[in-house]
Amino acid sequence: MAAALRQEMLRDHSVVVFGEDVAKLGGVFGATRGLARQFGGRRVFDTPVSETAFMGMAVGAAQAGLRPVVELMFVDFLGVCFDQILNQLAKNTYMSGGRVRVPVVLRTAVGCIGSAAQHSQVLSATFAHIPGLKVAYPASPGDLQGLLVAAIRDDNPVVFLEHKWLLKTRLPELAFDDAQPGDGEIEARPFGRLRRLREGTDITIVAAGYLVQSALLAASSLEAGGISAGVVDLRTLVPLDRDGLVREARDAPFLLVVDDDYHAYGMSGEVMATIAEELGRQAPIMGRHAVDVPIPAAAVLEAEIVPSVPSIEQAARALVKE
Amino acid sequence: MNVEDLLEVYEVMWRLRRFEEEVGQAVASGEIHGEMHLGIGHEAVGAVLGRHRRAGDAVVSTHRAHLHALAAGVDPVQLAAELLERDGLNHGKGGHMHLFDPEARFMCTGIVGAGVPIASGYALKQSLQADGALTVSVVGDGTMNQGAVFETMNLAAVRGLPMVFLCEDNHYSISVRREESTAGELRRRGEPFGIPGFACDGTDVDRVDEALGQAFEITRTESRPSLVVASVYRFRGHYEGDLDLYRPAGEKKEAARTRDPVLKLRERLLDSGTPEARLQEGENRAAETVAEWFAAARQRPLPGKKTAREHVFADVKA
Repeated sequence: MAAALRQEMLRDHSVVVFGEDVAKLGGVFGATRGLARQFGGRRVFDTPVSETAFMGMAVGAAQAGLRPVVELMFVDFLGVCFDQILNQLAKNTYMSGGRVRVPVVLRTAVGCIGSAAQHSQVLSATFAHIPGLKVAYPASPGDLQGLLVAAIRDDNPVVFLEHKWLLKTRLPELAFDDAQPGDGEIEARPFGRLRRLREGTDITIVAAGYLVQSALLAASSLEAGGISAGVVDLRTLVPLDRDGLVREARDAPFLLVVDDDYHAYGMSGEVMATIAEELGRQAPIMGRHAVDVPIPAAAVLEAEIVPSVPSIEQAARALVKE
Repeated sequence: MNVEDLLEVYEVMWRLRRFEEEVGQAVASGEIHGEMHLGIGHEAVGAVLGRHRRAGDAVVSTHRAHLHALAAGVDPVQLAAELLERDGLNHGKGGHMHLFDPEARFMCTGIVGAGVPIASGYALKQSLQADGALTVSVVGDGTMNQGAVFETMNLAAVRGLPMVFLCEDNHYSISVRREESTAGELRRRGEPFGIPGFACDGTDVDRVDEALGQAFEITRTESRPSLVVASVYRFRGHYEGDLDLYRPAGEKKEAARTRDPVLKLRERLLDSGTPEARLQEGENRAAETVAEWFAAARQRPLPGKKTAREHVFADVKA
């Protein structure tokens, strides 16, 4: 992450980085480590714990010509600055009749690492529901970098969801690592194009973020049990690759959508509706596996609620055998 | 300000007054169908703000923003066309509470308090350029109770942002009197953050000029925030159509005698020996100018229906 940010800060002097603990500490997950030392306190700085103020500052700075990359430490803190996102960041381009651009990248850590209901959410659909925000939810190291580069260069506000497990897991332990080679330029990867990461003939699993990694592991186990499961990574929720989804669904007898954001009115429903609207009776039999309660604190309860490799495997098996 | 300056300000204030009256009539006639907040009574602040604003300065205003837009140099015909729901400043997408003019560095927002953090972003850009430009964040007395204001005062102070908080204190948050909603003195709200505050009679152009002059000087030369609280009277309801029943009997009548900034300057100029004919000239010119603006604005077409779906996203650079 820091490498991608460094590259873009060198490339474009209007890129600035601010948020809580991003400068001296380098971010609670290290994503901005070393940037303050290299670029100085004018372009990389810590803010007070005042999410409304610094989110609004990002909006104004972007409208004034900067490209702020602002960090909301955990997505759960959205509640304290939601107006700036809902009513300002997302809408000012439209309300200005296209005269104003708001190129803010809102980086935020999502997902469950054992901190209960106020520190474990994803909230991807909350952002994706609002017209005017792009939403990236990368699943791999290569996409974390490549989609971030694209987000910084985009003239629109981009909500960039970084899954905590993806930031914390050591690369060799990931099921899928597509990091671009160390020294070369990190290339931007396009928004709105899903990718198929695993072929499978019995069922297709659609996911985004870290659950793509889990789905790949689940698919390996399913294969051992005689079920051939493909895995599709959505990569960005806005824009959503609707044509790609329909293409992927056309040949799949079963399709399972896996999401670690909330179930109701969420991504899983959106994906299923998109496919059903296009394919009608030709649509595969579809199911979904998502979170439908606040995330509990105790490990044993958390494991019961949050989608995981075994629970994805179980959901896929149940769907195919239905 | 000398007499010639005051005569100029007088004419500007008349333009502002006539502008708002035209808008009010367009609401009454149904030409404008949305909510509308007028700044009649706030003209001294708008007119004097225009004198202190320099090229490069930004102004971020509120739901009661027309006077600040004009002060910031927004094209009046484009502005009027937008208010009249035509293809105007923002092609009919923003309307009167959401005006954006990137060339004039002006914007406003309809959410009370939301403009304040955004203003700090403009000031951040100016502080990086260090060219003496500043951002004026206009708020009302009601806004002063929003957490965003306190957060931004702290942030602006700690980062040395060139930002002037300009509070138009009209004593009412919609219907609630300031005494019932607001503790302490507004001028001192910045004190804990080391932000100097200047209070003035916002219906007296000289007092507004002094207060803004002091605040702008500190913010421009020292690159740090300042606060001005200008006490004004809102002669219309919170919105057009507000029955305004919450005011004590006789308050408005009394204010019309003592708190109307246009009338006050008129009387003062007459007292100091300015011939009434000269004032009349300015008044007539202002009325004609505003009539021309609105006539030109009414020539603008309605927005094309198909444009309703455009500009959800900016065009992505090639």
